[in-house]
Amino acid sequence: MNLQTYVGRRMLVLPAMILGITLLTFVLSHAVPSDPIAANLGDQAAADPAIVAAFKHRWGLDRPLPEQYLVYLRNLLHGDMGVSITTHQPVLTDLSQHLPATIELAMAAMLLSLLLGIPLGIFSAVRRDSMVDQIGRGVSLLGVSMPVFWLGLVALFVFYARLGWAPSAGQLSPRLALPPFVTGFVVVDALLAGQTGTATDALAHLALPALVLASSALGIITRMMRGSMLEVLGEDYVRTARAKGLAPRRITFRHAARNALLPVITVIGLSFGSLLSGAVVTETVFAWPGLGSYAFLSATSLDFPAIMGVGIVVATVYIVVNLLVDVAYAMVDPRIRMG
Amino acid sequence: MQPVVRRRGARSLAVPRSLVRSPLAVGSVIVVAAWVALAAAAPAIAPYGPLAQDIADRLAPPGPAHWFGTDPLGRDILSRVLYGARLSIPVGIAAVALAVLLGTVIGSVAGAAGGVVDEAIMRLTDLMLAFPTVILAMIISAALGAGIRNAVIAIMVAWWPTYARFARGLVIGARDREYVEAARAVGASPMRVFLRHVLLNILSPIVILGTLDVGRAILTFASLSFLGLGPPPQIPEWGSEIAAGRDYLDQWWIATFPGLAILTLVVALNVVGDGLRDALDPRLRKA
Repeated sequence: MNLQTYVGRRMLVLPAMILGITLLTFVLSHAVPSDPIAANLGDQAAADPAIVAAFKHRWGLDRPLPEQYLVYLRNLLHGDMGVSITTHQPVLTDLSQHLPATIELAMAAMLLSLLLGIPLGIFSAVRRDSMVDQIGRGVSLLGVSMPVFWLGLVALFVFYARLGWAPSAGQLSPRLALPPFVTGFVVVDALLAGQTGTATDALAHLALPALVLASSALGIITRMMRGSMLEVLGEDYVRTARAKGLAPRRITFRHAARNALLPVITVIGLSFGSLLSGAVVTETVFAWPGLGSYAFLSATSLDFPAIMGVGIVVATVYIVVNLLVDVAYAMVDPRIRMG
Repeated sequence: MQPVVRRRGARSLAVPRSLVRSPLAVGSVIVVAAWVALAAAAPAIAPYGPLAQDIADRLAPPGPAHWFGTDPLGRDILSRVLYGARLSIPVGIAAVALAVLLGTVIGSVAGAAGGVVDEAIMRLTDLMLAFPTVILAMIISAALGAGIRNAVIAIMVAWWPTYARFARGLVIGARDREYVEAARAVGASPMRVFLRHVLLNILSPIVILGTLDVGRAILTFASLSFLGLGPPPQIPEWGSEIAAGRDYLDQWWIATFPGLAILTLVVALNVVGDGLRDALDPRLRKA
């Protein structure tokens, strides 16, 4: 199978997966009769049958479930995800306002965990049982065991409240205006608009939450890189390279690390899921105006249209990221395509 | 020259020995055991009741009267941390046990049935795994409302697909083994073959995998409570206690101690789990 066929085949499955995601989200959020009325109408309004009936009718809650799903699907195809019960805005508008902030945070965190985790994994494996290895193993253990929300609070306390090194929570200092919307990433938009001051401020606000969010992915990636590297270092071709008298540095980076990176690529896609989960709690700690904060708001107020929108978007992002990762993998390792 | 002597039984002794050799593993076993003991003994050893309020002494820093300080309602944090263990440990175990049970049942059905049933179940797990646990839990909580029971249900729904895939793989692997064929040949019914010969043999790796995840389940439950999707605020729970400290950054002790409780327990559980996995089942060895 050549690369085009492989990518084409994967792309064909994508719409079916997304359809499945919409159905699953719908079933999960409607499976059990719950009471969005109590959550969204005041006690007085909920006691009035006329208001309740009007509310149900407005949100289609009075129709049978399969019909509600079909209505939802038809609207979705027209780019209409319904109106949020809490913000009274179209869900699509809400999502497009919140998604860029989350992507910005998640990408920054992923970048940090790769930049720190891959070298740490390599050196841990090369200098096995040394001080570096102890640190590498400690980082991966703490990373996967750390309650992210707690780490966030500790970081805010130490670096903001005590040391004053980091700015307070939020995406930008209150005195600054958001740069004109281009990509939705504040740092990038500020640079595009030539507002270097705003860009620096946004970057400073991004640093701490990104570092906190990176902790779990950092743990996973360091661990995978170390394990994969140890395996590769035991291979025959590495021994051959050593026997040929190549410089250890050259063996480590050119021969071993490049091959050891392969399995780590898959983990990048998979750990993106834990990154998105972590983003929800990190955002609530750092008052980050992303999808996590929005999901939190909608979940606690039983806002069906909103929470379904979040579910669909997040799952789709996850599937697309993993598709890209698989394609990248197939590009660097032709064996995958043959299978 | 010294003859190479391979002692018999060296392999079976490898488990305790490899655990004992690492001081980290030994320490972790002790930490886990200590937490279980503290949870069990909480009513006897906690200096105050978990709900007892001392308004005059609210937001008190750690001191002789309150070792871990007091929260905004004047409740003793040490006592609430101790009582929190009584909730987190059983909830973590229950959530994983339920997910393992559901996943094993569905996964073995897929593996045993094959064909369309298998295909449908596997595609469903693909879809389920696209949802990050916390998002899935939020969707479920939006339908069911917040609460301990619903948080457990959320973790179960989010995690069963992993175990289902694992169980399916094991069932397919075991299906064509000689001993299964032998059982069929002597005329055992398909049900008996499945239950006695296939299921019983795949159970131990599944149970080990589940044990490894208890720490992660405790962490997930704490995240859900932190987000307000767990028990109501008066119930002592580590995640919601940390949430209570969010508005009191200067009163660092409110969030610090419940956080350390989670961290020590989960780190210890993960170390013990890793050691168990490496020692007992090489098939599960990841890195």
